[in-house]
Amino acid sequence: MGIIKVFVKNKCPRCPQAKEVGNTLREAGFNVIEYDVETPDGLAEASFYSVQATPTLIVADQQENTIADFRGVVPSVQQIHDLFYNNAGGQMQC
Amino acid sequence: MGALVELRERQDIGEECHETTDLALFVRTSDDDLAGWDRQKIVEAMVREAGVSPHVADEISREVQSVIRDSKIKFVTAPLIRELVNAKLIERGFEEARKRHTRLGVPLYDVDQLILHPNKENANVPHGPEATNLTLAEGIKKEYALLKVFSPEVGDAHMRGDIHLHDLGFIDRPYCSGQSLEYIKRFGLSLPNSLSNAKPAKQPEVLLAHMVKFAAALQSHFAGAIGWDAVNLFFAPYLVDRSDREVHQLAQMMVYEFSQQAVARGGQAIFTDINLYWEVPRHFENVPAIGPGGQFTGKTYGEYEKEAQRFVWALFDVYKEGDGTGRPFFFPKPLVHITEKFFRTEGAQDFLLHICDVASEKGTTYFVFDRGETAKVSECCRLSFKLNENDLLDAREPWKMRFCALQNVTINLPRLGYKSNGDDALLFKNLRAMMELAVKAHLEKKAFIESLLSLGESGPLALLTMAKDGSPYLRMHRASYLIGMVGLNELVKIQTGEELNQSTKALKYGLKVISHMNLWCKEFSERYNMHFVLEQTPAESTAYRFAKLDLRDFPDKATGIVKGSIPFGQIYYTNSTCLPVGSRENPIERVKIEGLFHPLIEAGSITHIWLGEARPSKESLANFVVKVFRETQNDQIAFSPEFTNCLKCYRTVRGLRSSCPHCGSEEVDGITRITGYFTKISSWNKGKLGELRDRNRNKGYFSNN
Ligand SMILES: [Zn+2]
Repeated sequence: MGIIKVFVKNKCPRCPQAKEVGNTLREAGFNVIEYDVETPDGLAEASFYSVQATPTLIVADQQENTIADFRGVVPSVQQIHDLFYNNAGGQMQC
Repeated sequence: MGALVELRERQDIGEECHETTDLALFVRTSDDDLAGWDRQKIVEAMVREAGVSPHVADEISREVQSVIRDSKIKFVTAPLIRELVNAKLIERGFEEARKRHTRLGVPLYDVDQLILHPNKENANVPHGPEATNLTLAEGIKKEYALLKVFSPEVGDAHMRGDIHLHDLGFIDRPYCSGQSLEYIKRFGLSLPNSLSNAKPAKQPEVLLAHMVKFAAALQSHFAGAIGWDAVNLFFAPYLVDRSDREVHQLAQMMVYEFSQQAVARGGQAIFTDINLYWEVPRHFENVPAIGPGGQFTGKTYGEYEKEAQRFVWALFDVYKEGDGTGRPFFFPKPLVHITEKFFRTEGAQDFLLHICDVASEKGTTYFVFDRGETAKVSECCRLSFKLNENDLLDAREPWKMRFCALQNVTINLPRLGYKSNGDDALLFKNLRAMMELAVKAHLEKKAFIESLLSLGESGPLALLTMAKDGSPYLRMHRASYLIGMVGLNELVKIQTGEELNQSTKALKYGLKVISHMNLWCKEFSERYNMHFVLEQTPAESTAYRFAKLDLRDFPDKATGIVKGSIPFGQIYYTNSTCLPVGSRENPIERVKIEGLFHPLIEAGSITHIWLGEARPSKESLANFVVKVFRETQNDQIAFSPEFTNCLKCYRTVRGLRSSCPHCGSEEVDGITRITGYFTKISSWNKGKLGELRDRNRNKGYFSNN
């Protein structure tokens, strides 16, 4: 199973929307972690994935490699679903 | 028994000799009295300088007098008298008074060593009478800084090696700066104390002469680098109708003028960066151009693209040739900005191959990556400023684009690790305390510089207070305050058991440390309304100094951590946030990983790619540069080949060799980058020599010519 990492901060107009998507996915059983890039841990994680804008949503595998990224944009819940299930048996190994 | 006293002034400085008599007070014994001896002078000094009460001062002076009389010494000097007084002050418990009464100076032995042997503290300083003057002056100003400018808490932290206060010997100057040629184009050259004023230049050669003179004036007011923005573009309006030959001639003059300024301060080259663009940077496109005579030409800079390109091309022709013996030019360092617009500009591919050719041949080129829409001005060996909205407004009037960093304070990261015993919470607590101390140091330096600036035209920093465009030349409100770091890699090893590049966990730990520092800088910036930013310290000597002090003070813990060779004393810490110099990943991987830190370090960063004796094809370097721009967050890269210069036949060959392949002489000197600039290896300190030994030279990675 992959990890969904949502990068947000205060005073960012589209971040609430990204958080919302994250919450929905979490409720649906996905492994979702939210990072506030204005905290050291959040900023460190954002730096690791070269996140330059918020909101950003990164889908990573267990080895922390990026499988898919949505930078400065908010994907729909459906997009993430498709990403996981269309590739479920494939090389993505989520 | 007595003494004949001679008061001799070595320096004839008239009225002020009262202060300086103790520079050369000779007391020669002869008769039964201390003839000429003026006890009252001792009393006065104690009262005036140290705030001792006249009564106590009188007592002490009598005691000192009797010590001298009883000792029957034959040669008494003022420093000796002063130290005898100091001893008495201590006996009475007047420690503060003793401090205020301190004499700054240099032991005879040290002066002897200095005059005879080269200075290895700064590889940029050659050895000679001027250099010796500089070092002596630096020594006294350094003591002054630690006693007078900085609080004991800050000064002691520096002495212990918790932090490093850079350029203490230049305490009465800001650290480094970025300049705009537009200022001298518009206002000409009139310097305080100068015997003549020059109107704005009408010819490019004259503009160059003004630039060089102004650079020398600035060098004597700043501790470190002087950077110039968009040099080829700002020269462009002067180059209309000039032949290619003339443009080449001008390029050659510029490079030689700056590389041979070893006649300047202390025989030290002017540490010059020139920022260059193939395209016209977007923020200058529509700006009215200034041309000959300081007049607006009626055109915008966007219309001078061709002239700007001819000039920058010619500059790299000069860099490719190298100096008269084929060595790379050490200065001025050419920083080429690579932007989105660069790739859209006609001829960019050819120009990229041209500068990569120079990078392969001589290593001279610096590639600065300005991704997205952010414009940057680069300054010191690693300092650059991202232009914010205010700066972009200034760009409409480019003579206003003058920047400076007031001071650089570097934190010894590994030491924080030794003190935290693997406890993360304690480490971050200690790190924050150290950042606060760095901020305190900055506040103290700022207050001191402000006190000098407040003296205005009659003060020591008159040049920086001139206000030809309505605001002082040094724009204090735009100053930055740098906080650097050394040895992140070693700190991570102490805390996690692994080096930065050995696991994702270790890398993330490193990112966390720097993220903390980054966020604290923001917090302090708000609190003090000052601009605190992280910088990758160019640690020519700091990486060595910290390692040495830690090995002395934390021998058990530091032994397995410091890099280099302990038996040979060639020890060092890894610079700033860099991966270990010897690590084996391929260069693109290094650029990528080191680049993850660069967005956190706002005052600029660089990744070095050591080439050894390889001479890669320009095509392979160009591909590499494009890849770095597109696929990484790295701020800046440079390729560093190594050379051997023969001191007998003066020829230069590639690679580091122990003898000259042409004449067989063993009198040779190596040349490569020490940190952000090229120097002769014979001038390196032991720590850097240890690092040189360890460098991974990426053998076989790039395809050759
Ligand atoms: Zn030779």
